[in-house]
Amino acid sequence: MQEESTTQELKDRLGLIESMIAEGRRTTESWGWIFVLWGVAYYAAIAWSALGDHSSLAANVTIMAAVIITVGVIVGRIARRKQNSLPATTLGRSVTAVWIAVGISFMVLLPSLGIGGLSTSNLVIAVIGTLLGTANGASSMILKWKLQFGCALVWWMLAVIACVGTARQSLIALLVALFFCQIVFGVYGMICEARERKQRDTIHV
Amino acid sequence: MSELPELDPVIHGKLRLALLSLLSGVEEAEFTWLRAKTGSTDGNLGAQLLKLEEAGYVSVEKKFVQRKPQTLYRMTDSGRSALTGYVQALKQLLGAAINP
Repeated sequence: MQEESTTQELKDRLGLIESMIAEGRRTTESWGWIFVLWGVAYYAAIAWSALGDHSSLAANVTIMAAVIITVGVIVGRIARRKQNSLPATTLGRSVTAVWIAVGISFMVLLPSLGIGGLSTSNLVIAVIGTLLGTANGASSMILKWKLQFGCALVWWMLAVIACVGTARQSLIALLVALFFCQIVFGVYGMICEARERKQRDTIHV
Repeated sequence: MSELPELDPVIHGKLRLALLSLLSGVEEAEFTWLRAKTGSTDGNLGAQLLKLEEAGYVSVEKKFVQRKPQTLYRMTDSGRSALTGYVQALKQLLGAAINP
């Protein structure tokens, strides 16, 4: 009897460790909207370019608008987190580091390709596929999220298509990848985050 | 027959175990956040954190942010290895209890 209660107590201790580690890692932040925002921004840029009016401005204006919105919201969140004394998780910092590094790579590489006169549509799509594949792949391995790894595979596949396919095939592949890996994946992420928030509110009431 | 491991008495206390587990997932945490997560009282939380600090498992930093005092706790390397050792010992004991 005493042995049984000791075993139960040890199991309780193990359960306590697991639940507290999960509680510490849990954040109130939501990231799904960023995927949706960038998916819509790319679609807007492509649609604007296709219309022909000021097509050279299309990508610059839409991407800059997306950058400003993203940076503005993230800076606001960091300030709010500091004000409310919420801790930064090591997991969150790792994932953020990956995305910031990839974001900087985009900002450095794409304009440089344009200035150097190297920005053919296939090359730009290959760069987008490679960098987003890298970011999603690394992030999925940190978070152990198979669905995001699936997105990484789609982006890497896009990079291959851009290298071996025609401009038209690459553009179609880009639109498909954007739809599934940015918009659909982002909306799914937002639904998961909302569900988790609701669950947490129920527990804490 | 292999000897059963002993559990670290500093970590074995429920609140101290919860605090170390919480701190293992974050870079640093404020006293108020730890209090909210554990549902503990100020006095008890302060006493348990002091024991962890004395054992060298957590480090403390006190500072002022916008004129408000802030006490930040961070898990040390020895705290991390102590928690890892504790989990291993726990699993070993549970294994021995399930398969005597």
